[in-house]
Amino acid sequence: MSLSGLLQFVGRSLQRLELRLAQAAGFDSVGPALAVNGPQILPQSHHSSDEENSEPSFLDSIFWMAAPKKRRTIEVNRCRRRHPNKLIKVKYNIEPCPECGNMKLKHTLCGFCYEKVRKETAMIRKQISIMEGRPLNTPAVESVVLYENETPSEADKDKRIVERNRKRPYWFNM
Amino acid sequence: MRLTLRALISHGRVARRIGLGPESRINILRNILTGLVRHERIETTRARADEVRFYAEKLIDYAKKGDTNEKSMKMADFWLTEKDLIPKLFKVLAVRFENQRDGCTRMARIPNRENLDRASMAVLEYKGNPFPPLFPMKRVSELNLLNQLLKAYREEKAQMCCVWLVDA
Repeated sequence: MSLSGLLQFVGRSLQRLELRLAQAAGFDSVGPALAVNGPQILPQSHHSSDEENSEPSFLDSIFWMAAPKKRRTIEVNRCRRRHPNKLIKVKYNIEPCPECGNMKLKHTLCGFCYEKVRKETAMIRKQISIMEGRPLNTPAVESVVLYENETPSEADKDKRIVERNRKRPYWFNM
Repeated sequence: MRLTLRALISHGRVARRIGLGPESRINILRNILTGLVRHERIETTRARADEVRFYAEKLIDYAKKGDTNEKSMKMADFWLTEKDLIPKLFKVLAVRFENQRDGCTRMARIPNRENLDRASMAVLEYKGNPFPPLFPMKRVSELNLLNQLLKAYREEKAQMCCVWLVDA
């Protein structure tokens, strides 16, 4: 196959690819975008249809797509699927929480114990928001939380007292 | 000969990238810091909590200089988007930490978020807040089996010692 022949073939493939892309984008006819289709005087459409029918379709696209040559054997598949970097790593940093006995990660708070604290904090915050009334009304004083049958002590004189209607939980001693 | 661009390798770079860019990062951290000053205990992702910690402690340092200080007031005005927290910062938080040099915040890790993203979370709080403590107090109870056995062992040893002394 001659070099000029090859170059001609590549050029023609590129032109056809361009036409295909233009058609895909929505430009139906060759030429300026705002041009309107005039009357068909010159026999151009026949010429282009002959060209397409004459050459086989697999030479149209110049993109040779990758495809697997051989079936991957089960041995090769197993090697890939069972490689350590694909398996889930075992965690060795799990230990029981000394308070409640649920499992927790070593450097993390226990989920159960933290959930208790979170719920109580949310109740205290709800009480504070009721006391404040409207938003953006924070007073410039410290707060202290008192449960049922508790009186403010000496240190709590200047503080805002947040009252909760339940007895003091055993894990909140202060 | 260096074959790769310095910009593509990030060995040893310690600055975290949060949000859409440096300005976005500062805005995000400012919102978190405002929430922290308002609520005194905040749950966020670990990276953000770590970043906000530095800014929270620096803000307390500025607040300790007093509210007549021009720079401190400007800092508080910039960092706290809700302006009713500025008196709280100067009168409550600065006073609470006036005898401490540093260590005003505490960060603890929490189990991952329940959402699809399973983000690693942390809880960040100012020390001395009125809420229940995150870390339970260590209580040593005498009613454990182990402690009871140890107590009995100590008593027996004391008795044996007395008997030995009396004999000799």
